[in-house]
Amino acid sequence: MKALMSVGALIGVVGLLMLIGMIFGVIPSNTVRLVEGYMPMQVLSELAIFVAGFAGLSYLLNSMGVAFPRFWQGILFWVFIQTYLKFRIYPPIPFSVRAMYGTVSFVAVFMWVSANEEDWKKFRQPILNVLDANTGFHKALRTMYLILLPLLIGGFSFLSMKPSVDEPIELRTVHPAPPASTKVHGKTYTLQTSQNPYRVNPEGKYDQEYSNKLIVEQSMGRLMAPNANPWDDKAQGYLKYVREGGEIFFQNCHFCHGDNLNGRGLHAFAFNPIPANFTDPGTIAQLQETFIFWRVAKGGIGLPTEGFPWASVMPPWEQHLTTDEIWKVILFEYWHTGYYPRTWD
Amino acid sequence: MGSVTRTKLMSIMALGAMIGLLLLPILVAIPALANDSGSPAAGVKKEGGDAKVEKGKDVYYKTEGIVSGPPAPKTTDSEKDYPRYNFESRVLLWFANQQHLYYGSFVLAVPIFCMIIEFMGVVSKDKALAKRYDQLAYDFIKISLTAYSLTAILGGILIFTFLTLYPAFFQYLSSIFRPVMHIYALMFVAESGTLYIYYYGWDKMKEGFLKWIHLSMSVVLNVIGTVLMFLANSWIGFMMSPAGVDEQGRYLGNIWHVIHTALWNPLNLHRILGNMAFGGGVVAAYAAYRFLSAKTDEERAHYDWMGYIAMALGVSFLIPLPFAGYWLMREVYAYRQQMGITLMGGLLAWLFIIQATMIGILFLSTNYYLWQALGRMRGAEKYQRYIKYLVFLLTCGFLVFITPHTIVMTPAELKAMGGQQHPVLGNYGVMSAKNGGINVIITTTVLSFVWYMRGNKVSTVSWSKFGNIFMGCFFFFAYLNIILLAIYGYYIPANVRVGLSVPQVATTLSCLFFMFALNSVMMKGAKQMGPIEWGKISARSQYALIMLATAFTWMMGLMGYIRSSVRLFWHVNEIMRDNSPWAYTHTVGFAANMISFNVLFFWTTIMFVFWLGALAAKKAPVEAKAAVPGRAAAPAVGH
Repeated sequence: MKALMSVGALIGVVGLLMLIGMIFGVIPSNTVRLVEGYMPMQVLSELAIFVAGFAGLSYLLNSMGVAFPRFWQGILFWVFIQTYLKFRIYPPIPFSVRAMYGTVSFVAVFMWVSANEEDWKKFRQPILNVLDANTGFHKALRTMYLILLPLLIGGFSFLSMKPSVDEPIELRTVHPAPPASTKVHGKTYTLQTSQNPYRVNPEGKYDQEYSNKLIVEQSMGRLMAPNANPWDDKAQGYLKYVREGGEIFFQNCHFCHGDNLNGRGLHAFAFNPIPANFTDPGTIAQLQETFIFWRVAKGGIGLPTEGFPWASVMPPWEQHLTTDEIWKVILFEYWHTGYYPRTWD
Repeated sequence: MGSVTRTKLMSIMALGAMIGLLLLPILVAIPALANDSGSPAAGVKKEGGDAKVEKGKDVYYKTEGIVSGPPAPKTTDSEKDYPRYNFESRVLLWFANQQHLYYGSFVLAVPIFCMIIEFMGVVSKDKALAKRYDQLAYDFIKISLTAYSLTAILGGILIFTFLTLYPAFFQYLSSIFRPVMHIYALMFVAESGTLYIYYYGWDKMKEGFLKWIHLSMSVVLNVIGTVLMFLANSWIGFMMSPAGVDEQGRYLGNIWHVIHTALWNPLNLHRILGNMAFGGGVVAAYAAYRFLSAKTDEERAHYDWMGYIAMALGVSFLIPLPFAGYWLMREVYAYRQQMGITLMGGLLAWLFIIQATMIGILFLSTNYYLWQALGRMRGAEKYQRYIKYLVFLLTCGFLVFITPHTIVMTPAELKAMGGQQHPVLGNYGVMSAKNGGINVIITTTVLSFVWYMRGNKVSTVSWSKFGNIFMGCFFFFAYLNIILLAIYGYYIPANVRVGLSVPQVATTLSCLFFMFALNSVMMKGAKQMGPIEWGKISARSQYALIMLATAFTWMMGLMGYIRSSVRLFWHVNEIMRDNSPWAYTHTVGFAANMISFNVLFFWTTIMFVFWLGALAAKKAPVEAKAAVPGRAAAPAVGH
């Protein structure tokens, strides 16, 4: 047990030093790199390692007879979590989410330090000591709090009331709610039931399973499936339509959505928010193909009131593309990102 | 005829009367249902003496039917269709509706608890414990009796509010549900009659065969209550996903289609479970309040035990609730993609984040209570040192579960993020991760329960070491399976991903059922390290129970609002448009304030109900008092 905890302690100390080093630039910030695609699990795993490390450290200090006060354990652990969220994760997490995470971790720390009576007594003892002020030091500390607390509250109030020159928060929905049906080039499409006419098997029948086998691998390399190269001259049927969709994409869409479909096109940064990143699992991977068809056809301007609040400057592509071209470009987007359109059956 | 036989006869007659009351509305309804298809149909047009039958197509079932009712009225923003005070009519209706629903849920849930607890008392071999259970069930029903009158009063207020402020809409809805409207009213009569016989017959039927008759009455009572709720659910189901009418909203003569809409069954299940969890929470809060204000150890012991039982019952229904909610949302998406996206990715998405937060709070409060409860048994210290790891698991699950898909941020933050999608938050913000998150939370709650159940015991079975290792491995692989499936969900088509929730839920439920069963077997005849010292629990635990109840109440208000506002500007989705000046969606802030007001009002009035209940406190028999935990060492079966 002791050996295990010692290893834990070692990991905890090393991890903490590395994090501090990376924050202050002593150690290159890419020493332990967070890799896109693996980041969500990396973050959770790193936090688990830190928790194990701190538990080991606490155990070791206890067995050495230099117990670290529970009060400071709780407070410093919470500070650690906030530091980790603010400085370790890149791109930065918006304040609203950090505030949520901060509150949850605060509650978690409270639950931990008050889970049993003994721990709770240990945790609150320093607070009671200051309130009781039985020693000179505690008396001074209490007086200091008496002065500092109103000042802090006053300062906080001042800062929150001070007029700000920042742009206000603009609420918007990521996926505007679609209508039940949409009319494009004179034809009505029911979004719940319509299908992409080009997602077909060699027999010319709609077949999602067939097309699913031919999309690129979703993991990092985004490699093409064997014998599924749309740019092969011999490619026919589904793959041919993917190629045609790709051509349309690179003639019309990639300026904003980027040549890797990640929303970082040539003109992307002229907009805020930048165009949708199709490689993210939260965009086209979450939606029905008909939803994309409606969004592409109507653009930002054609969004209905149900979809409010939204922020999109995408042109209504029905004014520039034919219905067939829109379906083909959608086919390409799914093929290229390696995602499957949402279906309900 | 001896007096016992006469009582038996009377009891059987009372039970027969109850069943009669249950069947009465159905019998009365048969002629109405039979006439239904041939009722004076609006679609039957007489032209020169020849009746011409007009047919319409069901908007949902796509079947043809004879038009048997008027079309949905096309209302205008006028005093005629929307009479009003100098106040927002929708808010008044919201308030009346919510209060009626709170009380309705409470009085439907409590008799189910009574039934369960009374049954536990009847089958318990320990006489003292059986008495305690019986007294507890009686206390429960006593509380619900006053609440029942309030429910009826609030129901009346609700109908008057509808009639006064939304006459055109109410007239249309009642014309559609005409064949079952009176069944609903008669069910109320049956419910009242049954409840009073059940309550006032308690002392007369407390032994032997008569007790079983009494218990059967509670079953009848709950059947009536459930049918009542199902009927009420059919109205909201119709408003959200209408069926049995044509595109103009004309009734097509098939009442079953009107009732059995796309969302009716998921709503029924979700509401039953929700009511039970809510009822448990309210009773637990009542016990917590009495615990905190108790003057004697004996009282503290009793209310500690009552709070525990209510919490355990409530949580046992809370655990499957997210899965029922998942089914409901799946059906909503399948019914109308637009509705699903408005709820979870669109206009109401932030309310769903608040909902996720409330669900997290419920589970966190439950776990916290159980950890505190470990403190009242000797020998549980061995588990307490590992609580920090459970906190970590719960927190990770919670953080993932509440991560929003639609992030609130300033344009500067949006720029700094380099796009709308974040490589970490974006992944946490979707269903695959959230399924993993909630399953981790629930599995951890199950683990806390297992620890609690074995807190003061040491297994004496010969295979206890193997059993412990097996349980540890089972939980470890359950967590692993849940997390791996959550990750795998990103690599598969959406329809498969939705199906993936099944093995995740199965993993969680197998932890619940299998581990509970195994634990019980292992703990049979276990060595006790000490008794459960009822009443010797921290005050914090009782605040956790109050938190649990408040979170339940708030969440019910929130989810009701979400469900209702997803119709946007429709009274009846895509059939009858809301043309009142209030057909817009409130801001999140206003909605939250309104929900808080409703919660506050409910808790203020329920405190009054509790006070009334305490006024009429039944004196406990001497022998029952002697058995109150805290006086004697409470048996371990108390968990």
